[in-house]
Amino acid sequence: MNAAFTALVLLSLSLMTVVHPADALPTMISGVANAITLCLKLTAIYAVWLSVLKMMEATGLDKKLSRGLRPVIRRLFKGEKDETYDHIAVNLSADMLGMGGVATAAGIKAMASMCPADGRATDNMLLLLVLNATSVQIIPATVIALRAAGGSSNAASVLLPTLISTTVATVTGGLLCKVFAAKDRHRPAAATCPPTPPRNDRRRSSARRPRKSSAIRRQCALATKDGTTP
Amino acid sequence: MSIYILPVIFVVLIIYSLIKRVKIYDCFLDGGKESLSLVVTVFPYIAAVFVAIELFRASGLSEIVSRWLSVPLSYLGIPAELSELVLLVPLSGNGAIALLEKIITEYGADSYVARCAATVTGASETIFYISAVYFSKCKVKNLRYAIPVALFSSLFGMVVACALCRVM
Repeated sequence: MNAAFTALVLLSLSLMTVVHPADALPTMISGVANAITLCLKLTAIYAVWLSVLKMMEATGLDKKLSRGLRPVIRRLFKGEKDETYDHIAVNLSADMLGMGGVATAAGIKAMASMCPADGRATDNMLLLLVLNATSVQIIPATVIALRAAGGSSNAASVLLPTLISTTVATVTGGLLCKVFAAKDRHRPAAATCPPTPPRNDRRRSSARRPRKSSAIRRQCALATKDGTTP
Repeated sequence: MSIYILPVIFVVLIIYSLIKRVKIYDCFLDGGKESLSLVVTVFPYIAAVFVAIELFRASGLSEIVSRWLSVPLSYLGIPAELSELVLLVPLSGNGAIALLEKIITEYGADSYVARCAATVTGASETIFYISAVYFSKCKVKNLRYAIPVALFSSLFGMVVACALCRVM
């Protein structure tokens, strides 16, 4: 983020100095002003959705949801705490339903609960980020409203292409994450498990594969959490 | 149809909470309190991203870059009119929506370009904003492959979206 931010700001500001230097400061201030407006809106959105989330937690509904999605989520995000799985379940399902506010709130909680001590993002954190950044969209409500306002004869006709293309993007993102994670796993010296066979498309292959290795993997995940190699 | 989904979810959740004897008022108090502290943590990240984006657009750099991009993008089947949108989508949700509005009024809502634009906008998330905000409570220095992977996958999604708009 540091490099991206610096490059973007430096390049834009240099260009601005040449083209319209008087606008530089007002532009930066209006950027922050926009951020404040958004934050006020977000406070309201979070207040409602976090309350809903609190109710889900208090009634144990998030655990139920998480248990339903557990087989998929556990396979994707290996070796995390139960609490993390609950947050991830809420995050991903809210994302798909287009409830951005609750997805962000749960996502931040999930990230915080996976936070490593050494400041190097783990593969699971990156996977969660990528899945969110390419999230499957079932109902793109704003876009449909805009099209209807623009006089479209069939405003909802973008539903299916959106659904398909976001699914393609999410699957691509997930697979690429697994590929990079497997590549990295051979390098670092940290206490990792003996490299699981480089099957990157676990989602697809797991249906066909017998589940004998999952017990080993779980053991392995437990052991890594304790900081010892099995 | 879909306008009923959210209210129904809320009603069902509140009834379920009543059955489970959860104190609903207290849940709302907690939610309100937590939202304030969450926004306070998230604010600097949003402010930084917004300053960068605002500068990027106001300086005219985004126009220049999108002009460069339009040629390689058109090889991928993404119309040249969309190049600024493609560039803006991972940066700013509001910016992308504003641009989509402009494209719809300029080309007509049912034109190929506008349909592509709608699909691309609807299908995308603001990657930089998400990565700034999600890591706000957990400081990590090194995001490794996350951003390239996310950008590539969503670009791939956009290519698929534009191809689908041709036939659907």
